[in-house]
Amino acid sequence: MPCAETERRLHAYFDGELDALGAAAFESHLETCAECRAALVHLKALRSALRAGLPHERAPAALTARITAALDQETSAPERRRWPAQRRSTQSFGRGLLAGAGGGLLAAALAFFLIAPQVISPRGALLDDLVNAHVRSLLPAHLVDVESTDRHTVKPWFAGHVDVSPAVYDFTAQGYRLLGGRADYFEHQRAAALVYQHAAHVINVFSWAGEGALPADSTRNGYHLAFWEEGNLRYCAVSDTGWPELLKLVSLIRAAEGQEGHG
Amino acid sequence: MTDEPKSRVVTVERGSPEEKRARFDAQVLPHLDAAYRFARWLARSPADADDVVQEAMLRAFRGFDGLRGGDVKAWLFTILRNCHLTALAQRERRGFVPLPADGEPEYGTAMVSAAPGPESASIRRDEERSLERLLGDLSPEHREVLILREIEELDYRDIAAVTQAPIGTVMSRLARARAALRARWSMSTEEERDAVR
Repeated sequence: MPCAETERRLHAYFDGELDALGAAAFESHLETCAECRAALVHLKALRSALRAGLPHERAPAALTARITAALDQETSAPERRRWPAQRRSTQSFGRGLLAGAGGGLLAAALAFFLIAPQVISPRGALLDDLVNAHVRSLLPAHLVDVESTDRHTVKPWFAGHVDVSPAVYDFTAQGYRLLGGRADYFEHQRAAALVYQHAAHVINVFSWAGEGALPADSTRNGYHLAFWEEGNLRYCAVSDTGWPELLKLVSLIRAAEGQEGHG
Repeated sequence: MTDEPKSRVVTVERGSPEEKRARFDAQVLPHLDAAYRFARWLARSPADADDVVQEAMLRAFRGFDGLRGGDVKAWLFTILRNCHLTALAQRERRGFVPLPADGEPEYGTAMVSAAPGPESASIRRDEERSLERLLGDLSPEHREVLILREIEELDYRDIAAVTQAPIGTVMSRLARARAALRARWSMSTEEERDAVR
């Protein structure tokens, strides 16, 4: 059996994952190593057996028809999302939430959010929602749903879990470490929350699709809320850190977005 | 005055919905069969696979504007796998666990459809059946990484994205999965040879 490092390189070579230099180096190793040559033959045999031996099934026609119909409906009446479809996304959000620890408490919070927007003035409700979502995220085991400092991991995760696709960046070098992402719920939609750590403070950056006037930056229950807009997404950074620290993160994100947008 | 619906500012849409749909049909729908095959390996039953695929396609459509570059199939698979995990967790919590196959542990291996592979209904060539079965016997992680690499031909980075694991983990998992499958495979071919004798 080749050593672990050689084995890794063998698989990477077989999978075409080595760069030109690495591949050339490995090929010269192959010339002298009968063991690796034999292993390569086995890898090829296994791959062709798998490709030839597994059934190549196609999606059943009934399923394709169901999906096409659902997409047609979604295409012809996108505003459906705001009302009837709301119920559905709320349910699936509820499922996601309850999956986490502290389901009962969160269920209560969810029930509150579902009822609250109708009885409280919209503006105040949004600020409360944001602060509550931030506080809730600090409960044990609920900070992040996807734990990663890699924005390429966090970003696709959002695609399956929330209604928006926010900009995801890591600013570890500048003192704001990306801890991960989370699904949250307010403004009648599944919003995305990015979680950053700055010194001992946690900063939640929420994003959702909004309309109407953008709320002004404010402080509520000791938490600062900084708002901005980018394209048709609304963002709000919430934390108990100081204003300068919070606004620095905001400017980092906005600068990164600007670069990506124009670059 | 026409009775057109009042226009609402609709969220993430860029361009018209029809244009978005056309792009979606061109870029994402071609991967429907692959998504279905992957779902069959993930989900417990064909009905579960159908539901997961449908949910994933809808979510993909809604999130389509957020997709910039990258491999579309890997992106769709990521969504699909998340939908599957969500459905799984939900079923768990409800205490609604479909009748487990013989002696099948309830969690962790929940993705394993114990003996039969995705399509056990029809009788197939022996080799096909046996490879399917051998693959079905592997742990979910091993099976998943093999399917993504050998059948769906995703590269390491995309496999890392879909399975939400670091690339180093993907590499060692793949090596172990291949070793495990190869060991079972050569054992089963030996058994067949013995049976013939």
